[in-house]
Amino acid sequence: MTNKVKGNIAIIGIGEHPTGMFPDKPASELFYYAVREAIKDAGISKDEIDAIIVEPCLADRWFNTDLIWSRTVDEIGVGGRCKVNVQVHSGGSTSSNSIRMALGLILSGQAETVLVAHVEKLGAGPLSAEEVNRIFSTVGIYEEWEAPYGLNYNVLGAFMTQRYMYETGTTIEEVASVIVSLRKWAALNPNALLRRPLTVEEVLKAKMVAYPLTSRMCNIVTDSAHAYIVTSARRAEKTVKTPVYLLGIGGIVTHFSFMKADITRFGWKKAGEEAFKQAGIKCGDVDVVELYDSYPVVPLIQLEELGFCERGKAGRFVYEGHTWPGGKLPMTTDGGSLCRGHSGAGGCAHVVEAARQLMGKAGERQVKNAKIAIATNVGGQYMDAQVMVFGSEIP
Amino acid sequence: MSSPKRIEGFIPRFTVWGKPFWEAAKKRELVVQECVDCGKKNYPPTPHCPSCLSLNLKWVRVSGKGKIYSYSIVYEYPPPGFKTPYIIALIDLEEGVRMLSNIVDCKPEDVKIGMEVEVVFEDITENFTLPKFRPIK
Repeated sequence: MTNKVKGNIAIIGIGEHPTGMFPDKPASELFYYAVREAIKDAGISKDEIDAIIVEPCLADRWFNTDLIWSRTVDEIGVGGRCKVNVQVHSGGSTSSNSIRMALGLILSGQAETVLVAHVEKLGAGPLSAEEVNRIFSTVGIYEEWEAPYGLNYNVLGAFMTQRYMYETGTTIEEVASVIVSLRKWAALNPNALLRRPLTVEEVLKAKMVAYPLTSRMCNIVTDSAHAYIVTSARRAEKTVKTPVYLLGIGGIVTHFSFMKADITRFGWKKAGEEAFKQAGIKCGDVDVVELYDSYPVVPLIQLEELGFCERGKAGRFVYEGHTWPGGKLPMTTDGGSLCRGHSGAGGCAHVVEAARQLMGKAGERQVKNAKIAIATNVGGQYMDAQVMVFGSEIP
Repeated sequence: MSSPKRIEGFIPRFTVWGKPFWEAAKKRELVVQECVDCGKKNYPPTPHCPSCLSLNLKWVRVSGKGKIYSYSIVYEYPPPGFKTPYIIALIDLEEGVRMLSNIVDCKPEDVKIGMEVEVVFEDITENFTLPKFRPIK
């Protein structure tokens, strides 16, 4: 099959509402803030948008249903011009699938300018703490074979961490150092929630949640919104100075339940090889990695399986500071789900941050001369591995 | 009259294809599906064999012995209805399938990956018996 991915579409605008707890703001306010920012950033007229892909809002089901049924079309005034309004939903890997859908729409000529947008209100939203807790002990969890034993997402994070440390000899200090790295980036990001720097000792002495994970090693669910605009590469070049080209996208879906998974590897190797092959790049060509980071072991597994570190060496690599600002492999530069704040089922923030770095708009945390960026997504019980390669030029 | 026992944890709806598992558990038997056509053992239960899609499945009793593949001890933010701490683990059974379960009769500091465990049965309600595992002494 010929490669129809590399250099055919580009992100031309990004928007973001700060991540945090906003009890007085409804989901719609955050959502349209990010949408307006993305349109403004691209410098296009909103009337050029002819397809809308909405990512799921778990906390506000009413607003989410409105989004599925085209509320955006009314409220940004593109009724009668917009050809597609649809929700894409694969949990935390949604944004990789939104990109795939945008690629298909644009390459097949069905749409030219695609708006992708996501809002979540799991922090200070309409749901009680117990209702949010219920979501993360039911979604993607077998009612009959897992829920009776008290499975939730923190336990999944703990299972991976325990087995990974057992198989590789990685220490808990090395695992905890991922938080130290993410906090250093979050400190540079005015949109992040958890910006105070932390030491490994502080991470480990926090309250034990699901052994061996302390509260600081578990993500915090928040309110936030992200959006981006995708168009054909040809149009992108006429529209903006800094198009962010999609160079490769590789994915593999491996399982539903941890009972059927290799929980220290998953499908990252295969997904990474496919994405890198399409892009025609090697690990050494990558300037910045925006790795999905729901628990600290998750980026460690990716660093190894994608080929940036040998098996069992990623913990040491992060512990030594190579992923920090100024390090040789800047990693998850907005602070990620663990320190910027988890924004629910999307993975949208990781794509927006990759684009931001390649556009040179990352302010204090800008990675110098960033030309190639990786963004990753994963959904459910780490059911899939989704790897995207973006470039500010087409190598 | 004694007051009804407070139910801890979570009671699921049974699927048609899962029901024989729960009925066996009530009789203190641990069973898994086995495909009559391709011979593969299957857990968790499914409406057909995931390897060959055959509907020709039978239930076979397994030893109930296995090793811990991974585990955690939940101290905070359990799912609604669960009392902490509890040990939760993935167990590789001798017969080659992996089960999620709880480890009981074991101090949190004693649980280890690779630990040999055996099935025990806990009656949650009159109609719901949950297979759990304990260390083999």
